[in-house]
Amino acid sequence: MGLKIICLMKQVPLPTEMRMGADGLMDRTKAKSSINADCTFGLEQGLEIKKQVPDAELIVVSMGPTSFEQSLKKALAMGYDRAVLLSDRKLGGSDTFATGYAIASLLKKLGFSKESKDPFIIFSGRQTTDGDTAHVPSQTAENLGIPQATFVEKVEFKGDHLKVRRIIEGGFQVLKVPVPCLISIAPTATPARRPSLKGAIRAKNTKTEIWTLDQTGADASVVGLSGSPTLVSKVVDIQKDRPPVNMISGHEPKDLAASLVSEIEKVKDAIGGGHGQHAGAGDEKSAAGEKAKTDVDFPRVDFRNGARGVLTWIEMLGQTPSRSSLEILNPARKLADQLQTQVTAIVTGHNLKDVASEIIAYGADEVVVVDDPRLKEYRILPVAAVIAQWIEHKRPEIALFGATTSGRELAPRLASRVRAGVTADCTSLKVGEYAHRMKKTVFYPVLESIRPTYGESKLATIIGFWCPQMATARAGTFKILPKDPSRKGTVREFTPTFRESDFAVEVLEVKREAGGGDNLFVADIIISGGRPAGDHDDFKLIKELAQALQDQGINADWGASRHAVDNGYAPYARQVGQTGKTVRPKLYIAVAISGAIQHLAGMKESGKIIAINQDPQAAIFRHADFGIVRDYQEVLPELIARVKAGFTFGLATSK
Amino acid sequence: MPKSEIIETDILIVGGGVAGLATAIHLADLAAGSDKKPGILVLEKGSSIGSHTLSGAVIDSSTLKELLPGVDPKDFPFESPVKKEGVYFFTPKLALKAPFTPPFMGNHGNYVVSLGKMTRWLAEIAEKKGVQVYPGFSVSEMLYQNDRVIGAKTIDTGVDKHGKPMENFQAGNEIHAKITILAEGPRGSLMKALCGKLKLDRQSNPQVYSTGVKELWDLPEGTFEAGRIMHTLGFPFSFNHFGGGFVYGLNGRQVVVGIAAGLDYTDPTFDSHAALQVYKKHPFIAKILEKGKLLRYGAKTIPEGGLYSLPKLYHDGVMIVGDSAGFLSMPSLKGVHLAIESGMLAAKSAFEALKKNDFSGTQLSLYETLFQKSATHKTLSRTRNFRAGFGHGMILGAFYFATQILTGGRGITPSGKMKTHEDAACYKKLADVKKTFCEKFAKELVFDKQLTFDKVTDVYFSGSKHDEEQPCHLRVLDFNLCRETCIPKYGGPCQHFCPAEVYEIVTDLKTGKKDLHLHPANCVHCKTCDIKDPFGNIEWAVPYGGDGPEYENL
Repeated sequence: MGLKIICLMKQVPLPTEMRMGADGLMDRTKAKSSINADCTFGLEQGLEIKKQVPDAELIVVSMGPTSFEQSLKKALAMGYDRAVLLSDRKLGGSDTFATGYAIASLLKKLGFSKESKDPFIIFSGRQTTDGDTAHVPSQTAENLGIPQATFVEKVEFKGDHLKVRRIIEGGFQVLKVPVPCLISIAPTATPARRPSLKGAIRAKNTKTEIWTLDQTGADASVVGLSGSPTLVSKVVDIQKDRPPVNMISGHEPKDLAASLVSEIEKVKDAIGGGHGQHAGAGDEKSAAGEKAKTDVDFPRVDFRNGARGVLTWIEMLGQTPSRSSLEILNPARKLADQLQTQVTAIVTGHNLKDVASEIIAYGADEVVVVDDPRLKEYRILPVAAVIAQWIEHKRPEIALFGATTSGRELAPRLASRVRAGVTADCTSLKVGEYAHRMKKTVFYPVLESIRPTYGESKLATIIGFWCPQMATARAGTFKILPKDPSRKGTVREFTPTFRESDFAVEVLEVKREAGGGDNLFVADIIISGGRPAGDHDDFKLIKELAQALQDQGINADWGASRHAVDNGYAPYARQVGQTGKTVRPKLYIAVAISGAIQHLAGMKESGKIIAINQDPQAAIFRHADFGIVRDYQEVLPELIARVKAGFTFGLATSK
Repeated sequence: MPKSEIIETDILIVGGGVAGLATAIHLADLAAGSDKKPGILVLEKGSSIGSHTLSGAVIDSSTLKELLPGVDPKDFPFESPVKKEGVYFFTPKLALKAPFTPPFMGNHGNYVVSLGKMTRWLAEIAEKKGVQVYPGFSVSEMLYQNDRVIGAKTIDTGVDKHGKPMENFQAGNEIHAKITILAEGPRGSLMKALCGKLKLDRQSNPQVYSTGVKELWDLPEGTFEAGRIMHTLGFPFSFNHFGGGFVYGLNGRQVVVGIAAGLDYTDPTFDSHAALQVYKKHPFIAKILEKGKLLRYGAKTIPEGGLYSLPKLYHDGVMIVGDSAGFLSMPSLKGVHLAIESGMLAAKSAFEALKKNDFSGTQLSLYETLFQKSATHKTLSRTRNFRAGFGHGMILGAFYFATQILTGGRGITPSGKMKTHEDAACYKKLADVKKTFCEKFAKELVFDKQLTFDKVTDVYFSGSKHDEEQPCHLRVLDFNLCRETCIPKYGGPCQHFCPAEVYEIVTDLKTGKKDLHLHPANCVHCKTCDIKDPFGNIEWAVPYGGDGPEYENL
């Protein structure tokens, strides 16, 4: 039997629809839909392998309403052979846990599980634009019991295994993943091909196979709103405090610079004084999500059933804990204090000598050290085995992870294993309570995991009543607590039992840029460049502007977009964006950056934003305070000259 | 490189606009009774049917009734019958209403429509009749066997800027058809290639064009009622420039405001987008738009040459319909009804050819014969010299037009056939223009983003997008010609004539030298550049299917 390649795909409202409404807002009633952007990269990977294995069968699989057929047809037109849709009203309201379960049930029924004799590969996109969790691929793999690699940007098919390049904090790792497996593809991989006319004609004549939940044999009580371990308790609009962009006009670069300077003068108090959002921004934000004490007198029920303690995972980059792992100790500490319990941090790695005391100094009460040569480099399966066993053993009420590429795949896979709910990429974590009107009960103390959603236009509060209540926290959102070497804590060792299959994936190579870039978290002005800024002058002007500002006594630094980093113009440590750093300087200057959603995620909380781009259509202008449509090579020299003459964008100098 | 797969069909129609869909619908109807139904394939480059459709539009519904005899005209997706019409002459400050409607410009009994909406409706009808309609596919080349057209090929995708196939390369498909029908709209790229190869326009006047630029606005209830139409002459056009403005009331509080500017102008700095902005500032128009809001923007060329500019309409294996051929009635500036009629005539010819299994030019010439006998031919004949006369300016044009009316269209030219000139050949040197458009309106060209908008903002409202990874679809044949000759002599007219800011003349800060920069992603597919570049140095080619503007109801 030949190779089968399955691609998971979701249909989402078109992002451009957000700008197409008559009032400038997204009109969901008329919103056109399309294949989720990341999924198109997954689809392409399947087609790439088919070039090598021409008799491989390509199957596109989706779950959703029958309107998804439109996108399934497009996948067929691109070259997929079969389209399968799981469509059932019972699935409405499913969270990622339930979705992973339902999709895995369908796939098993289609003949794909770890017991299958025939080789198969499952591709998916990294995450969806409407959910942004990146959970479903991991949770599907867990339910199928097969190895996975997420955030992958390069795939080589080698017969019985794949060689993949996976993005990690600070660089990438090259993994050897045995078939069968699930691979989620990052949007830096090869973009999807266009459908061919021949394919479109074939697609029109190919029927989509529609499955109901019953046909998959899945347990209906584990899906849908009632079966999902998480629920959205509240959604509030994020107040868009950024007014529409002020496009700077002027014919010559000199005029543009002059006019920018005078516009900046008008708002200089706002730049200099306000928006210094470094400290505990995550906590401040929650004010918007504050909820009045419940006004009902249902009986209060502690749903934890004895589960106690806050667990965090410390991700090691070689011998040092990752920044986001230390950040996560901040909310963990606060939650534990409020709940009058302990923070336990699990460290996985090898040769972990002095790490434990450092972690205690940053806020942990107890450090569990799992030291094993096989844990030297992060791999999801053994780490998941460690933490799952600890959770089953100790039953913590809360488990928190940094939302790095590792944390974001580990947490959902774990959640599916220990049957818990997980919330992705949170910007605020609080203790609250929830009045369950149907059950006439007030549940407490619930973890309120608050995260931006719907294209970052809303703030959703997600809760669940299954322990541990799990969440990943967006990097750069929480401030690392001051190091206190006098803090006392306990250090324990823990020896989990591994199965051979936990080590099925081999790490062939790891490349990590040596540290650096941490100043981006505290800089007042960040000038970031996109790929064109590298193509044209290798970031020379950008660095010059940063230097000129530093010479004026301003804490300025420079960053880069994902594309610029990929092309080697800047080290990963300087990457701003969802898979890079989340920064909040007082002023962010985006130079030749188009404004892809993944970049915006990393900088849109900046105080003021200036965008310089030749392309007037660039999305960055919709998220900027000031826009200049011009070649940066003409504008930056003018700005550099002005900075040298003393202009500091309204910021006080330390000179 | 993988080989292109072949698709076989009886009839291939390139272009899912009114002409192409009318051809498909009528042919499907004619063949409905026969035992072997022909395969009819319609390909459209827009992401959906109607997304590249742009017209005024006030239409004459007569031929639509003929095309769809089974449909109650009450069900036509029209906005409104024309209820109130006026022709105005604009001075910079005043609007003088013409006491009567000039000849051929009356719109009594006509309808205000959104052509985008109408094409979507026609596509649904066509599909119900078994026509295969595929939007999102660009056709990039004609296929020949000797001089006989045997089909066409869709564009290769997954090609980088330099034309090299990338990992996601997808070869285009060859489509082999018994008859290929070109319905690409004005200045189609296939039509241009076909004409160049087979010299179908050997005996015709050069086609002359206007560029129509329009905006769709949302106004407070009761500002401008549906079915009210206004045509204006004069400001902002100079006396030697053929052009005019229009305001049409649609349903649902929407109005369109636009101008159509003849491309035989001489001033290299004329800018149709800027002219529309200036036009909106005229007190009469500004008042209408006062409390409104811009919804959409778009631009498209209009073939105006009339009867004498029509090429030979057929050749072995191919026919040409609608705007591709230049079916347009002046001075009323109406082409939709003729697009439908030309499509129906081509369908009749195709049907006969299928019956006889003969697809030679001799057999397909039936299309031209039917056209010669048609009432349309008579109408076009009466205004056959109209546009050529106006090539001499508005005043002399009006004089010629008067003589043409009196002589049944012939006019006072000895041969009875007035000549038109290639639009591209009409420029004066920049130095020879006394007061350029830009100088004249320098003070006006400040955009407040309420009533008036800079080009880039308007382009944003066209919804246009293009894949960055593809060869530039605006092929500048010789950049040196731009630098060495065009910019010094004409000041780079492309930066002005393009209503979408595709062309930018940049000055090198160090050397002071000027150069041309392209922003192909802005293109709204109007084709003005292909027509009006003074040296014919720009060739408009199709980009990937699905790229381009996203017009909604334009």
